[in-house]
Amino acid sequence: MVTASQDSDVVHAQEHPSERDMNRRWIRSASIVNEFFLAGLFILAFTGAAWLVEPFTGYQTVALLYLLLVVLVGLKLSRGPVLTVAATSAALWNFLFVPPHFTFYVQKFHDGTMFVVFIAVALAMGHLTSRLRRSEMIERQRERRTAALYALAQQAAFATDLDTGLRAAVNLIESIFAAKAALLVRQKNHTLSTMPHAASSVDLSEGEKTVAAWVFSRRVPAGKFTETFPEAEALHLPLQGRTTIMGVLSIWPPAATTFDHVERDLLQAFAVLIGLVLEKDHIIEAFKHAEILEASEHLRRALLQSVSHELKTPLSAVQTGIDALARQTAGSEKSHRTFREVQVAVRRLHRVINNLLNMTRIESGVIKPKLDWSEVGELIEAAIELAGESVGEHRILVDADPTLPMAKLDQPLLEQCLCNLLLNSAANSPPGTKIIIRAQLMNDQLILSVIDEGKGIRKEESMHIFEMFFRGTDASPGGTGLGLAIVDGFVHAHGGSVRAANRDTGGAEFVITIPVQTVRPELMETPLE
Amino acid sequence: MSERTTALVIDDEKQIRKLLRIVLEEEHYRVFESENGKQGLSDAAQRRPDVILLDLGLPDLDGVAVLKRLREWSQVPVLILSVRDGPEDKIIALDAGADDYVTKPFGSGELLARLRAIQRRAGEANEEPSFRAGSLQIDFNARAVTVKGCAVKLTATEYALLKILAQHAGKVVTHKQLLREVWGPNAEEQSQYLRVYMTHLRKKIDTSEKGEKLLRTESGIGYRFVIPAKENQEKV
Repeated sequence: MVTASQDSDVVHAQEHPSERDMNRRWIRSASIVNEFFLAGLFILAFTGAAWLVEPFTGYQTVALLYLLLVVLVGLKLSRGPVLTVAATSAALWNFLFVPPHFTFYVQKFHDGTMFVVFIAVALAMGHLTSRLRRSEMIERQRERRTAALYALAQQAAFATDLDTGLRAAVNLIESIFAAKAALLVRQKNHTLSTMPHAASSVDLSEGEKTVAAWVFSRRVPAGKFTETFPEAEALHLPLQGRTTIMGVLSIWPPAATTFDHVERDLLQAFAVLIGLVLEKDHIIEAFKHAEILEASEHLRRALLQSVSHELKTPLSAVQTGIDALARQTAGSEKSHRTFREVQVAVRRLHRVINNLLNMTRIESGVIKPKLDWSEVGELIEAAIELAGESVGEHRILVDADPTLPMAKLDQPLLEQCLCNLLLNSAANSPPGTKIIIRAQLMNDQLILSVIDEGKGIRKEESMHIFEMFFRGTDASPGGTGLGLAIVDGFVHAHGGSVRAANRDTGGAEFVITIPVQTVRPELMETPLE
Repeated sequence: MSERTTALVIDDEKQIRKLLRIVLEEEHYRVFESENGKQGLSDAAQRRPDVILLDLGLPDLDGVAVLKRLREWSQVPVLILSVRDGPEDKIIALDAGADDYVTKPFGSGELLARLRAIQRRAGEANEEPSFRAGSLQIDFNARAVTVKGCAVKLTATEYALLKILAQHAGKVVTHKQLLREVWGPNAEEQSQYLRVYMTHLRKKIDTSEKGEKLLRTESGIGYRFVIPAKENQEKV
């Protein structure tokens, strides 16, 4: 669970020769002196006792008693003192109890053997028992650590709601480390909150907040006991999720205490676990949100589809019926004119329905541009074709460099935009005048302009011209006031913008600007041939 | 022509079926009607129509599902008639095996022209050694292309594109289909190549008299070789 980067953080924090390390060394040496002192006492007491017992048991039993001492001492003290006890016992036995007394001289051969065996057994014993104790101690630490993490996982990770979980985590940290803790959590806009989470037991000073912000941006620990901002009052750890940082955990150790290696390791593991808990919650939230969005989008699409079906089916019947009638009564000039009028009306109704449906699509946000490589010249021609007869008797001029590179865009969407602008210009300028469509590509921006020779836009209306159902005072009759609103909606869905202005020489100019990716056609002359 | 051409209309709207019958019978089609997908499939099997007009929004099965099942055993030309006008809907139907797509509401002239185009394709079976449309002439044996009698030099890729479009004349061919047939299955996403070669091809063969474009863009979908209106009438 603790990843490599966190291990390195721990090392990085430890390398710092702070005051606290000096303290620790002192504490350790103090306890070692104590242990040697204890060992000396034990030996003195035991030797005294052995002196009294020896006349009844014989000096060889004393050797066994000394071995017992080594084992007992091994259970309590650390390696150095134990080995000292072993060596001293051997020497004392030889000197005080093996005849001749008060010399290290050994008369009998089997006493010599016994002495050597004694030394070997005592040393081995001392070594073994101290090792046993050491591993037991490590085991106990590990168990404490596991228990703490388990408790955190139980209380925080499986809590029914996030706040309860975080509160449990803070409480646990405070009870294990006797420290104060605070959590700063990532906000919805992916920045670090400046207010500590409600579970925190303390508030952060401005200085500590700065350190926390640094930790959040760099994703490494900082503050007390580390190289960065060691003068801070608290230790700040990043709450790192699997993919992103979820916040910062700040811990104020109680006065004059320090965290040892194991404790800091544990804190790191806590930070990781809390980070994962936060991330889990975040992902669940995001998932729920996406599900709701998808459901509502699905509904909107279904609704749109059914409305569009209900409106277009009868229209389709009318159109087909009129066509059939027109064929049957072919020849009569009068009825031909009548049918033509009806056909124009049907076409207009069709356009109105399409406009309403498109506006609904824009409003409900279901429009997602599908980008594909397109040729700008082709796009313009298709738009002119789409506008068809409705442009009336205007002369349409295309002003576009034929060597324009290809651009990645949603062609059908932009065709509709250009077509609407064309129809708008055609409706608002006298028949027979020019409408110019101009295309330029500059700095990865496609600029499409439609320029007419009409009356232009009234100043007070230029603000509202792209609004839904807005109709200019001078607008020619007919039209729903949706055409330009649709242009605006489509262009925005495409990440671009549209504006309208009057030209100095008269007439209006509509300019669509959209960001596009481009490729020059020459660059692709030979690729697959 | 001993037998009349038979058409099967699969549409849940009674009114549309009635009107289509009127339009089609006037053009001497024999018309059968089915009001849902399942009935449409069984009628297609029993009546063996020469052409099918299929709506996408059917009450029991989606039109695309009907099309897929039909394509498991039949290559009968299918024209989709639908109110769905998004390029995605059209591409899905064309990829599923539809021969062409007409959005409702439609003009009956356009509908009849599309019907003729997809039937011609089914009847001719690409065995004509040459192809003529307007001033364009293609000799498939000699791989020679002339416009207004003058030889036009095309690259291998341009010729391959033109050949596919001409063989499907009157019918829309999707980007994906063109890419697959000219460049192979791995090139399906490389649409920029297609755009470049189509631009070149157009410059060479479209003599650009106003309104006389042979290669039309079906935006977001593909391209269509348009047979000039006059010839279209003559060929029937």
